Amino acid sequence: MTRRSLVVVSAGLSQPSSTRLLADQLAAATRRRLDADAEPVDLRDHAHDLTNHLLTGFPAPGLERVLDAVAHADGLIAVTPIFNASYSGLFKSFVDVLPKESLVDKPVLIAATGGTARHSLALEHAMRPLFAHLRAVVVPTAVFAAPEDWGGGATAQGSLAARIERAAAEFAVEIERREPPVVVDPFNEPTPFSELLGGSS
Amino acid sequence: MQFGIFSVGDVTPDPTNGTVPTEHERIKAMVTIALKAEEVGLDVFATGEHHNPPFVPSSPTTFLGYIAARTERLILSTATTLITTNDPVKIAEDYAYLQHLADGRVDLMMGRGNTGPVYPWFGKDIRDGIALAVENYALLHRLWREDVVDWEGKFRTPLQSFTATPRPLDGVPPFVWHGSIRSPQIAEQAAYYGDGFFHNNIFWPVEHTKRMIELYRRRFEHYGHGTADQAIVGLGGQVFMRRNSQDAVREFRPYFDNAPVYGHGPSLEEFTEQTPLTVGSPQQVIDRTLTFREHFGDYQRQLFLLDHAGLPLKTVLEQMDMLGEEVVPVLRREMDALRPAHVPDAPTHESLKAARAASAAAEVEA
Repeated sequence: MTRRSLVVVSAGLSQPSSTRLLADQLAAATRRRLDADAEPVDLRDHAHDLTNHLLTGFPAPGLERVLDAVAHADGLIAVTPIFNASYSGLFKSFVDVLPKESLVDKPVLIAATGGTARHSLALEHAMRPLFAHLRAVVVPTAVFAAPEDWGGGATAQGSLAARIERAAAEFAVEIERREPPVVVDPFNEPTPFSELLGGSS
Repeated sequence: MQFGIFSVGDVTPDPTNGTVPTEHERIKAMVTIALKAEEVGLDVFATGEHHNPPFVPSSPTTFLGYIAARTERLILSTATTLITTNDPVKIAEDYAYLQHLADGRVDLMMGRGNTGPVYPWFGKDIRDGIALAVENYALLHRLWREDVVDWEGKFRTPLQSFTATPRPLDGVPPFVWHGSIRSPQIAEQAAYYGDGFFHNNIFWPVEHTKRMIELYRRRFEHYGHGTADQAIVGLGGQVFMRRNSQDAVREFRPYFDNAPVYGHGPSLEEFTEQTPLTVGSPQQVIDRTLTFREHFGDYQRQLFLLDHAGLPLKTVLEQMDMLGEEVVPVLRREMDALRPAHVPDAPTHESLKAARAASAAAEVEA
């Protein structure tokens, strides 16, 4: 099998960010099971371009490269902080500018960080339905990291490490059983006019 | 090569002083601008069509008929004519009539309109946008070419033994451009008919525009209308000029920052880098516009957007003076010198009439 590609999106706002740390650990755990490159994407770096895209309808060159990478990736790791019981606005802005169908049948590993473990179900009531709507294949284990999970040294320990390993294993299996995605270019393969004309005279 | 201007016809407050023109003032300003286009030596004026505030041009042929009576040379066009919500029968009649009044100085650009709520006001649904554009234009195309039409489609009452009157001037239908920013289906449609394709690239990066135009050119050749480089391409442009480029930037910035389309988004600097917007000296506009040819091939029509975002009429007229005196003569000379002989000009009524006479003569000889 050829080398696979992962895009690892993190919507953390601070630097360093626990959201990014969780994203990196998920990527590393996946790569222990799968021959894959992982491209980290910090949405913070694209925050202005995301707003501009919403207003102008086209991505700036840097953001366009990220959107292309997501469309062509074999799998997506998506990690957001939980704000007010849901994914952050920055994270949703990114999802809102993804080109249509770019996540269809794509394995997605969802994860989140939060100030308290009481937010952990936001992964199940907000993140999972969002990606289900986009017809992505969300792996069964979603990983939430609360402050107590990080311990003193800010490394994954105990049950967080176990959840990361379980999620990465599920994710790697979903990627391995699929061919790399085929991205159809409507500008290269237009619908022939006879088909557009259909029944009309 | 044809040069001209296109106007959206928006009523937008001037962000520097809050002045808002009345609808009457805006309509009269559009008249002044259209007449000025001929005066400064431009070839084309194209009006938008809208049926919702803050836009005034709901009745393009009324406007263009008035301009026709007061000009001699100017080609009257649209940007765009709503092929989705207008009845194709009415478009056939209105623009054939305008052709007669304007002695043939008429062409049209078809567009779909992107404002959802407008469609139901005309009994249509925006989700049918492409299908409406395809079916309505197929009918319009026949109405201008066949004296008696029997027709049945999905969106309109059937027609039996219908003749659109008046018949097109000299039996020559107005030339049609199809405008679309991101629908490959419309580039395909333009290519299928051998019509022109206009990409309003002003808010879009070069790479995107390139793909749409390359698709149109490739399919134009596929459908047997000529080689890809003979396809009829039109482009937009958005400029603001002052003798000194820093003055242009300083004066235009508040209009940019508050513009209805892109205001409060990217900076002026980002937008000029990523899209064709050029704010600077006339020479900078010349240099930038010449790059269009490098990106998209030799093309036939260049329309500039000048009156928008609340710019005062006086400023717009100053822009037109610079365009007509300093920019267009140079561009015309340069583009014409670079264009190979086998690449045609945009069709006009006279050229289409001559082509029709030639093909009729060839038939007689055969």
